[in-house]
Amino acid sequence: MSKLKLNGVSKAYGATLALRRGDLEVMSGEVHVLMGSNGSGKSTLCKIIAGAVRPDAGKILIDDTPVTITGPRSARAQGIGIFYQELSLAAHRTVEENISLAALPVKSGVFVDRTALKERAARYILLFENVAGEGFSADALVGNLRPDQRQLVEIMKALASEAPLLIFDEPTSALDRAQVDRFFEILRDLKSRGRGIIFISHRMDEIKAIGDRVTIIRDGETIATLNLAETDAATVIRLMVGGAGDMPASQSSAPAAVDGKDGAALTVRGLSGRGFRNVSFEVARGEILGFGGLHGQGQSALLRAIFGAGSITAGEVLIGESRFDASSPRDAIRRGCAYVSGDRGRDGVISGRPIIENVTPIHYLRHRLMIARPRKLRDKVTPALESMHTKFASLFHPISSLSGGNQQKVIIARWLIDRPDVLLLDDPTKGIDLSAKADLFTLIRQLAAQGLGIVLYSSEDAELLGNANRILVFNGGSVTRELTGADRTRYNLYQAAYEAA
Amino acid sequence: MSQVVSRFLSFIRQPIIAALVLIVLLLYLGQMLSPGFASGGQILRLLIVASLLGIIAAGQNVVILGGREGIDLSVGGVVSLSAIIAGNVMNGADSGILPAIAACLAAGGFFGLLNGLGVTLLRIPPLVMTLGMLGVLQGLLVVIRMGIPSGQAAPALSRFVTQPLAFGIPGIIWLWIAIGVLMALMLNRTVFGHRIYAIGSNEHAAYMAGVPVRLIRIALFMLSGMFAAIAGLCLLGYSGTSFANVGEQYMLPSIIAVVFGGTSLAGGKGGYTGTMAGAVLLVILQSILTTINIDESGRQMVFGATLLLLMMFYGRGRAMRA
Repeated sequence: MSKLKLNGVSKAYGATLALRRGDLEVMSGEVHVLMGSNGSGKSTLCKIIAGAVRPDAGKILIDDTPVTITGPRSARAQGIGIFYQELSLAAHRTVEENISLAALPVKSGVFVDRTALKERAARYILLFENVAGEGFSADALVGNLRPDQRQLVEIMKALASEAPLLIFDEPTSALDRAQVDRFFEILRDLKSRGRGIIFISHRMDEIKAIGDRVTIIRDGETIATLNLAETDAATVIRLMVGGAGDMPASQSSAPAAVDGKDGAALTVRGLSGRGFRNVSFEVARGEILGFGGLHGQGQSALLRAIFGAGSITAGEVLIGESRFDASSPRDAIRRGCAYVSGDRGRDGVISGRPIIENVTPIHYLRHRLMIARPRKLRDKVTPALESMHTKFASLFHPISSLSGGNQQKVIIARWLIDRPDVLLLDDPTKGIDLSAKADLFTLIRQLAAQGLGIVLYSSEDAELLGNANRILVFNGGSVTRELTGADRTRYNLYQAAYEAA
Repeated sequence: MSQVVSRFLSFIRQPIIAALVLIVLLLYLGQMLSPGFASGGQILRLLIVASLLGIIAAGQNVVILGGREGIDLSVGGVVSLSAIIAGNVMNGADSGILPAIAACLAAGGFFGLLNGLGVTLLRIPPLVMTLGMLGVLQGLLVVIRMGIPSGQAAPALSRFVTQPLAFGIPGIIWLWIAIGVLMALMLNRTVFGHRIYAIGSNEHAAYMAGVPVRLIRIALFMLSGMFAAIAGLCLLGYSGTSFANVGEQYMLPSIIAVVFGGTSLAGGKGGYTGTMAGAVLLVILQSILTTINIDESGRQMVFGATLLLLMMFYGRGRAMRA
């Protein structure tokens, strides 16, 4: 029996089509897996079902009856419960209150019924008995829990909705083996009681273990629905990549090897810290080393740690021949290390200040200057900005008057006045337009040609394939695969990213 | 026509222009209420008082510019402490002036350092840290003085504050002008100044660009303490002897002057020139309130309400969100 059916559902944000055509059918008693790369439209689809986003077109049927979902409350009323990837918990409240947050039991019309609340919470906490770990109890504050325990609370909260249709958007990312096994037992039990479950995960082994059918989304379109028992991982990945997966067109256009006679620019040996463990690699002068893999597998954490803005618990970093363990970005900059973040608003832009003041801080620091003479620096700042075709009216206009792409160019320009030896790029093109991207990559390749060692993490495979001489694929905080030469294809990149570590 | 009007409106909405216009209007109002209010001698007296407030506000200004809810509520305590230290060190003798200056700056810098360390290393919100420090200072004042007025200003100090020094203008006003020029140079022409704005606008981005965020924030609180100490010294010269909690009344006005001058309480935006205009404006307002027989408590109420009104006018309520 069909529990939920979507027919030609679409959603556009301005000019961007987030979901072109979504078709999906979830049966009672089935775990239905959604797969697709970052930005393919999975989350939009889930948000539409959960009522967080209103679709532009298409039909939604629950139990074969057409429905309109007007908002999250309406979705709940129609029997839909959701686990959000970005947890939606109240940090200062207890576990039991969070479990019932969506519908607190009430007595006499106003007061929270504490007895009912405790009873209800106890039921769901019991489900994860023995695997929840130390310090997990009904009256613990959610803010004091470990990430995996918080994720368990969010799962319990979704389960407590007792909805006939449950959506789990990456529910296992922080859980350990035993917790995942217990969670899957619970899902199987729900299945046997006729619930419909939508499950999103990037881990092929989990999908195989729990899923009945899989629907693949690519570029905002649901491509195919397959029976998981009758398919293998390669088929699924090939569908996600698209037909062009093995063709030369999607092979890397960057040269496979760099003549390494100039020696290593950056060497990392056995580096561990928060978010990554035991990572080793070497970047030659003139080389662009790509970091690939799914989002949040330790790539950013590693780059920030090398730059002195994260924690390192073991291992060593060398710039050139000499030991380099930056204790702060200030230290790293002095030693010739540069870092560009994709999160401009947080890490880069000094908002409300003139463009020139956003370019000069690195120069002041490296030359230990005391007096700021913006007009004298104009001759240094202008060429740096022009090398990327930055569009600006005057150096003394506030940086906030520029578009996102031009702001990012300004941030990059600050590293160009005094050449660093190592350039760390942390998804640098996030949210900027195509022409700005092209300008940036032209510059990055030029810098490599001038002998900089460059590490490029990008969430867009095309950028990695188009620019990196080698690609390290990250999974769960460590490097699981290195792609070199002709192996640098879209298909291999996907496969390495989705395969369990 | 409407373009001219809108241009005029945007011109007048610039905080410093608005402050200057209000200054002229208030002087006119004062003259109406009490003839002689806007006379040369009276204006000089107002400027002397304004320079005391303005020097304190310079410290307040840099702390606020540094962002992260930066504010220094302990300035009043430092002013009082500095006045007492200066009075006891110089004790009516001109030869004691230099040691007094050194002692006051050291004390102001020390308490500023404590504020800075508390805010950066212990991560105590500035509001709480400096309020606690104010409490400590008030207690300390009671212990030192035991309620008995002590200490005399040196004659040269009193002359510096109250008598004309050059072109008929007292030394303290010249000092204030010099501080104004130095502040403008520091904020606009030194790397330190640019870094103050950088940490005030986006602390994390500044950190990632190699700005020593903690050191700078500590330096700002130290500057604030030292400016308050200089003001305390001058205040002693103004009144002759130090008396109970002379500095207390300056805390609220020093914040209002900064906000009046167009500095955002969120940090990273503003400058000292506007603050100077704000200080003059407040002193005139205070004087008018005195002229129409409104006592100290009434003046405090008016000041408090003025600050709240300003916050609404500039739409900076978000600045104070914790």
